[in-house]
Amino acid sequence: MLEISNLNAGYGFLQILRDVSLKVNEAEYVSLIGPNGAGKSTTLKTIAGIIKPMSGQILFNGEDIGGRSGSRVTRLGVSYVSEEMNLFTNMTVHENMMMGAYTVRDKDVKHRLLDFAYGLFPRLEERRNQLAGTMSGGERKMLGIGRSLMADPKLLLVDEPSFGLAPQLTDQVFESLDTLRNEGKTILVVEQNVNKTLSVTDRGYVMENGRIGLEGPSSELAGDPHVRKVFLGI
Amino acid sequence: MLKSMFQKIFDWLKTAGGITVAVSVILLALATWDQGPYILVNTVVTGGMLGLVAMGLAVILGVLNIAQFAHGEYFMIGGLTAYFVITPLQNYLTVHPNAFLAAVSPFIAMIFATLAGAIAGALTELLCFRPLRARSRANWVMNSFLLTVGLSVILVNGDLLIFGADFKGIVGYWQGAPLSVAGVYVSIDRVMAFVLAIVIVVGFWSFMKYTRTGQAIRAVAQDELGALMVGIGLEWIMVLTMALGCAMAAVAGASLLFMYPSYPTVGLEPLYMAWFVVILVGLGNVMGALIGGFMVSLLKVLTVAYVGEGWQFVIPSVLIILVLIFKPSGIFGSEVRGVLDQ
Repeated sequence: MLEISNLNAGYGFLQILRDVSLKVNEAEYVSLIGPNGAGKSTTLKTIAGIIKPMSGQILFNGEDIGGRSGSRVTRLGVSYVSEEMNLFTNMTVHENMMMGAYTVRDKDVKHRLLDFAYGLFPRLEERRNQLAGTMSGGERKMLGIGRSLMADPKLLLVDEPSFGLAPQLTDQVFESLDTLRNEGKTILVVEQNVNKTLSVTDRGYVMENGRIGLEGPSSELAGDPHVRKVFLGI
Repeated sequence: MLKSMFQKIFDWLKTAGGITVAVSVILLALATWDQGPYILVNTVVTGGMLGLVAMGLAVILGVLNIAQFAHGEYFMIGGLTAYFVITPLQNYLTVHPNAFLAAVSPFIAMIFATLAGAIAGALTELLCFRPLRARSRANWVMNSFLLTVGLSVILVNGDLLIFGADFKGIVGYWQGAPLSVAGVYVSIDRVMAFVLAIVIVVGFWSFMKYTRTGQAIRAVAQDELGALMVGIGLEWIMVLTMALGCAMAAVAGASLLFMYPSYPTVGLEPLYMAWFVVILVGLGNVMGALIGGFMVSLLKVLTVAYVGEGWQFVIPSVLIILVLIFKPSGIFGSEVRGVLDQ
């Protein structure tokens, strides 16, 4: 579904990604792990069309989306949930959700998506008239994911779902991602919580210094001596 | 239900915005009682149009993050376009009287003026701000501000070069005896200017609140990256916002043509006044700009009535300095940014 080959990208003259190649198959749950500053978020931002690649190819369902604008990429079926979610803080939860469905024109489809998202996060429906800016961290994370689901994405890019959350809330967010995967969504998740991520995803890529170092099934990565030493400190 | 509503109103009255609005209303009432109803009428008529110009400024500031100092030039473009449309129509009407054409010709002129403002705004975004944005977003506020100053110089001198420095004005759009409002005679032009301002404001508010595109504009103002993430085409929204904001200035310029005849630097006064309003209510606060328009207009009317003609720029300026010192976020300002939201 998503195929990245030899991607180079960065900010201005500062190159961060070096020859990154990775692949996500349909209905797969893939993780991209690595230490701070390895280029994980940059990878997601480049796929989402927020950063323009310097070179390389990003194929989504056979179409080259490298260098397309973010709104175009969203329209093609890639939803990106950023680390800080970028919610519309002065709109209500419900308005945020409806903005998420900006690219969806069909009213029935919109309602179906809304029912699905509220079914996944009943908390959001309880708070539907509250301003997004006044919600707690966990609720904002739910809203970020919920809003991205409203675009009816085929591929979901989630940046640091555990960022700034208490462990219990982190579990809740991961559970909702599990549910989405069981619904057949394709997910690429970037995380620093390596232990947790490798225990739930199918496959993983390990990124260091802007390059992909290791890749393989998550269970294998979790047992890899290098990963255990660097990330888990064992 | 009723009690909670009272509670809400009471709570609002205790905020800076509530106090200022309440004081303004009381001042207006006292001055009207003291000096006669013309105070009220003058405040309301000029306040509506000033609010319109300030709203355009606020929406451009909120969405594009541009401190627009060429806004008065779109006011000038509006007046100029209206002048060149209405003059031949009125000349034709003096030869061939036609009641229907006489009634619709002002609207024709204003529609042309609005379109001219919108096109000028869209071109400004496409030819000036988009290339700047593509080049670098660093230091954006300063660079875009300097660009608008340069643009203002070019537009003013372009007008001077092409159309000359003479005053291009009209006596009035509508013929007929002035209306009597609360014992004051008000020309139909003034009444229509106020009515038009209210109609446009209500239309604009509904557009921003209920249409998909209007909501997208608000979304961009609140979080640009978030807007990109949900699939909003930023480039289109920016062109549209610029066109809308400039069209509001242009329609104000057109409908006030009988008060402000068009000449190259006619936009200076509305520009300053609109900036007073925008700083007073808080940057980027669009609905606040409308209320602020009435408040600054009241301040101007009161200054002329009690202090004297010629002081009407001094008093608002002093007020702006005080606001910037004591409440820099403006009287309705809050830490949360967004068009149409406080």
